[in-house]
Order: sequence, then C-alpha cells, then structure tokens
Amino acid sequence: MGQLSLKTVIKTFGDFQVVKGVSLDVTEGEFVVFVGPSGCGKSTLLRMIAGLEHTTAGDIVIDGKRVNDLPPVKRGIAMVFQSYALYPHMTVFENIAFPLRVEKAPEEVIRKKVAEAAAILHLETRLQQKPGQLSGGQRQRVAIGRAIVRQPEIFLFDEPLSNLDAALRADMRIELTRLHKQLGATMIYVTHDQVEAMTMADRIVVLNAGYIAQVGAPLELYHKPQNTFVAGFIGNPRMNFLPVTCTGVSAAGVEVDYQGQRLHLPVAPRPGIEGATLSLGIRPEHITLGAGEATLRITPSVVEQLGQQTIGYATLPGREETFCFVLPGTRVIEDDKPLDIGFAASECHLFDAEGQAFERSIDLAALTVPSAV
Amino acid sequence: MAFKSRDTRAMIDRYRWWEVVAIYAGMFCFLFFLLSPFIEGFLVSLKPLAQLFSSPYRFWPENGTFAAYVSMWETVPGFARYVFNSFLISTISTCIVLLLVVPAAYAFARFDYRGMGLVLGGFLAVSMFSGAVLLIPLFRLMRTMGLLNTYFAMIIPGAAFLIPSAIWLLRTYMMRIPTELNEAAYMDGASQFYTFRRVILPIARPGIIVVAIVTFIGAYSQQFIFALTFNSKTEYMPLPIGLYAYFGKQEVIWNELMAASFVGIAPALVIIFFLQRYLVGGLTAGAVKQ
Ligand SMILES: Nc1ncnc2c1ncn2[C@@H]1O[C@H](COP(=O)(O)OP(=O)(O)OP(=O)(O)O)[C@@H](O)[C@H]1O
Ligand SMILES: [Mg+2]
Repeated sequence: MGQLSLKTVIKTFGDFQVVKGVSLDVTEGEFVVFVGPSGCGKSTLLRMIAGLEHTTAGDIVIDGKRVNDLPPVKRGIAMVFQSYALYPHMTVFENIAFPLRVEKAPEEVIRKKVAEAAAILHLETRLQQKPGQLSGGQRQRVAIGRAIVRQPEIFLFDEPLSNLDAALRADMRIELTRLHKQLGATMIYVTHDQVEAMTMADRIVVLNAGYIAQVGAPLELYHKPQNTFVAGFIGNPRMNFLPVTCTGVSAAGVEVDYQGQRLHLPVAPRPGIEGATLSLGIRPEHITLGAGEATLRITPSVVEQLGQQTIGYATLPGREETFCFVLPGTRVIEDDKPLDIGFAASECHLFDAEGQAFERSIDLAALTVPSAV
Repeated sequence: MAFKSRDTRAMIDRYRWWEVVAIYAGMFCFLFFLLSPFIEGFLVSLKPLAQLFSSPYRFWPENGTFAAYVSMWETVPGFARYVFNSFLISTISTCIVLLLVVPAAYAFARFDYRGMGLVLGGFLAVSMFSGAVLLIPLFRLMRTMGLLNTYFAMIIPGAAFLIPSAIWLLRTYMMRIPTELNEAAYMDGASQFYTFRRVILPIARPGIIVVAIVTFIGAYSQQFIFALTFNSKTEYMPLPIGLYAYFGKQEVIWNELMAASFVGIAPALVIIFFLQRYLVGGLTAGAVKQ
C-alpha cells in the first residue's frame, strides 16, 4: 500500500500551464524527492497529489484507484507544510491529536497514538506547550507528528526544512531518513536543497518548467544526467560546458576537438554527427592541477579557500560564463596567476545541440560498490 | 501580559529619553483633549445647582457633593428603565450583528467567488448613507412590518447600520489568519464547519471582541435616532431620551443631568471592561513561519 502513479498530469491556472504533463510511478515505501528551480511547479504537483489543488487533466492513481476527485483524507495522504501550519491556540498534544479528534477517535486511542508520535519525534516534554513557545525545529516535528498519527500510506513534504538553520537542517534530515525507515511509508519530498535531495532520496525527480527533466537515483543523476539542465542542476558548483567539434565516431565512443586538443569520450555514439558542434560537460571537482588529457591555460580571477577544498573561477577566452574548478584544499593557488588545469576524457559528459546527453559508458553498479577502491 | 511590558521596554530602548518624553506628552495632550468634556461633565455633576449659574463661572466645584447622584433618581423615577432599555437594545443588536457578521466576514476573507468585490463594495457604499436619509423609508418599512413602538424597531435598523463596518473590520482581521491552517485542517479531514469552529473562531477571538466592543458602542450611541422616529412608548425609550427628562420646564438640572449621563454610560463601560480582558494579542504566534 502506498503506490502512487501520475498519468500525464496537467495543471493550468487560467491560461497559464504550470504542470505540463507529468507521468511518474512511485513504488510502495519509496522516498522520492522533487527538485527543480523556483516556480517550476514542484509545490503545485505536490498539492495536486495531496488533493489541495484540482487536477486540470490526467489521472492521479493511488493503489490502483483513481483519486482525482477524492478529498485528502480519503487518499490516505498526509502533508507537512513548509510553514508548519500549526494551530496556534492548541497545545502540542492537541495539535498532534487534531486529525484523530476529527475522526472522533476514543480518548484512550488518542492518548496512545499521540504518545507514540511524541516518542518518535522526541516531543514528550513539550506536549502541554503551545506552538509559539517552541523552536523552529520543534514546530516542524509537531507538524510531522500531526501527519504520522493518521498513519497515512503516503507522506508529502513541501520544503519542510527550509525555514531551519543549517545545523538543525542536517539533524532533521537524518531524523526524517530514520522516520522513513521506521514507518516504511511512501514519502514524497519537495526541496531545492541539493544535499537533501542527494542524501535522502531513493529517486530524484528533476522538474524543469512543468516537465520532468529526469527521474533517477541520486548517483545516476550525478553520473548520467540525460540533458544539460539536469547536468547543470545536480552538482555544486555547476558543471562547466565547453563547445567542441565532433571529429570522429567509433564503437568505443566519440572523438571531439577542443581548440586543437583531441579527446576520446567513452559515450554511446550516434551516426552522422561528424563536424557537428557539441557541448562538452566537465564537473569542477573532476579538474586537476597541471596538464591532463586535455589541458586549459587559465588565469583564475577569484579563488575561494574553503580549507577542505579550493574553488577557483576563471574566464576562458571567447567565453562569457565563468569556468569553475575545485581542487583539494591543500593546493594553494593564487588569483591573477596563470596556471594549467586538466581533466580526463572519462570524466566528461557530452551533449548535442539540443542539450540531450550521449549516454556515458560507465557502470553505475560498479560506482556504488563501496569497496571499489 | 508579559509580552506587552517587554514591547514597552523595547520601545523605550529604541528612543532617546527626550523622544519618549515627547511621545508621552503628545499622548497626554491628546488624551486630555478627548477627556476634557468628560472631566468638565464630571465636575458639573459634583456642583450644587446654585453654583452652576453663578457668575463668574468656576471650573472647580466648591463644596463638591455626590448629592446629584442620589437626587437624580427622584427627579426622574423611571430612569433605571431607560438605562435598562439602552443596555438591552445594544446587547441584542450586538448579538445579532456578531451572529451575522462572523460567518460573513469569514466567507469574505476566505472564499473567492465572482462578484464578491461588488458585494463588499456595496456594503461600503451602503454604510456611507447617512442614517437620516433613510429614516422616512425605514419608518414606512417598520410600520408595514408592524414593528413600530417595539424594541425591534430600534434593534433591527440599528443592527443593520452596524453590519457593514463590522464586516469590513472582521474580514480584515480574518484575512491575516494564514490559509495554510485551513489547508492543514482540510488535509486532516476536518469539514469546513469543523475548521471554522475549532480553528478559525478561537484564533479570530480578539478580532471578534474588538468588533463586539465597537458594535456595542455604536449601538449605544445611535439608538436614540431610531427611538425618536420609530417609538413613542416611554417604557421602551433608551437612555438619551431619558436624559431629556432633566430638561425641566424652567431650567435644566445640569448637575443631575451630568450625573445621570455617567450612570447611564456605566453599564457600557462595564461590558467593555469585561470584553477587553479577553483581548490578548499574538494569538497566531507559532502558527506559520512568516
Ligand atoms: N494559485 C495560483 N494561481 C496562479 N498561478 C499560480 C498559483 N499557484 C502557483 N502558481 C504559479 O505556478 C508556478 C509554479 O508554482 P509552484 O509554487 O508550484 O512552484 P515551486 O516549484 O514550488 O517553486 P518554489 O521552489 O519557489 O516553491 C509559479 O509560476 C506560480 O506563479
Ligand atoms: Mg514551492
């Protein structure tokens, strides 16, 4: 129980289409994260699943049943709002008990379930306080408590941690992951924090302007982004893109030319692309100091020493966007001093003029084996 | 109310001492301006009648006495009834207004439907009519409905006149209650009515009390127009009409008139004092992260 399917779901506000045909299957017990830039329709999609927003077209199916016209309770769904949405005049106990009071549960059931929820969320000592007396993290836990007492099949979270400070966010992230394991329920989680998405998700759904740009496991998105949007969105700092010319195609991959340097990229070849201008993607963290298979001579204009790593920014001749590279923190470089940086062909991504990726010939399964070292 | 004194503290910390003094001085002047008629009236009520016509006029009473507060009941034996009438009319008017306005304001605050702006604008426009313009048509209406010379003739038009501003006042207040609370309650399975009763009403309580106070005061002060027009029975007459009884044939019994005025306002003051104790701010604290 807790299986969700979206079938070409569409949402329009007036003439403005916000969600433009989203299809997605979420299996039982899965933790799915929606990410995407602001305004791409994450909240709208989530609210449609919740039943707070009418679905313009398409079907929302939960456990084999079309639920488009059902109210939230009948969908077996609970939602945690970004703004907590606690009832300010009620104690923590009454806030958590609210859904049970609505369904007129007997007093002893209410007391038992609230106590259970409070224990899971470490709120036992706060039950008699009002929301106004709690910290942000505690309020968010009360909101989660209110969601769990109903024992829903599916939990929806709309940026539940974005109002918390960084340290608390990290704690709550771990607590939510633990909660997911403990409850085994399906969870759909909206965020624009990449770290949350990468660490918590079984699968990430990247949304762009109302479309799904890609769905996949966190490392799949990182290593095999299907298009420049996902490539640029996942990973921090952003992936660098360089214009290259295709000079040859073989079974082993695609050969490209960047300013006279030949690179042999291990990607799935396509016929008839010789001579075409393609886009080469290289992540800042895959760049090394000194010459590599391809070498760039750059003059960093800004250098950020973070201790753990050193981030440099430079402008390449004839290019507008800055080129970014990340070196280990032990590498001390100075701004305005020219230096050579390089990268390996095997770390590169390749995209066609439409921004679609050539699939990289890497085995994701091998990457996730911890003992690969 | 702990938060209140903390606010005052914060205010004092933010300003220089002379700014604080200036602010308090300004407030005191304003207060004095507002209160001076009451002060003068109270002093008059303490003066023996003879002193009131002495020349030159003296502001402070000589041999001040509360005698007028006793003798007023003899001069106008039915005075208690007038006070009771005023109190009754205002209370019932306020109850009617609240019963209609609380759900209406909620609907106007929360639900968006075609033509709502028109309806709200209509309320505002109607409330701009001076009551005097409508007295004649209202008189005919009251006569047709057979309500002349009853309490209802004063209660119903009174309530009707007070509704528009009450709706606007309460709607503004209710619009500040986050819609997420409605959505959360809906997610939790609560019906519209359950949400209204268990979530919205308790949070809107301070706003409702303000509206109750404003309406009560409004009803107390406007009822004499309706009383004069729609009622000729002494036993239903409200306080302001009762005060006319102190305008004697030869002279106005000023000290008793003023004493009676203060006695007459007392019940309203008691009600307001009672209501304002429930006026606690910050009820939405912790509801949503702003
Ligand atoms: N009720 C509404 N009426 C009209 N337009 C709306 C409504 N709700 C959302 N939109 C529009 O739909 C688009 C998507 O909004 P949505 O809230 O889903 O974005 P989001 O991805 O959650 O963004 P954010 O990360 O900023 O929360 C936005 O352009 C927004 O202006
Ligand atoms: Mg959003």
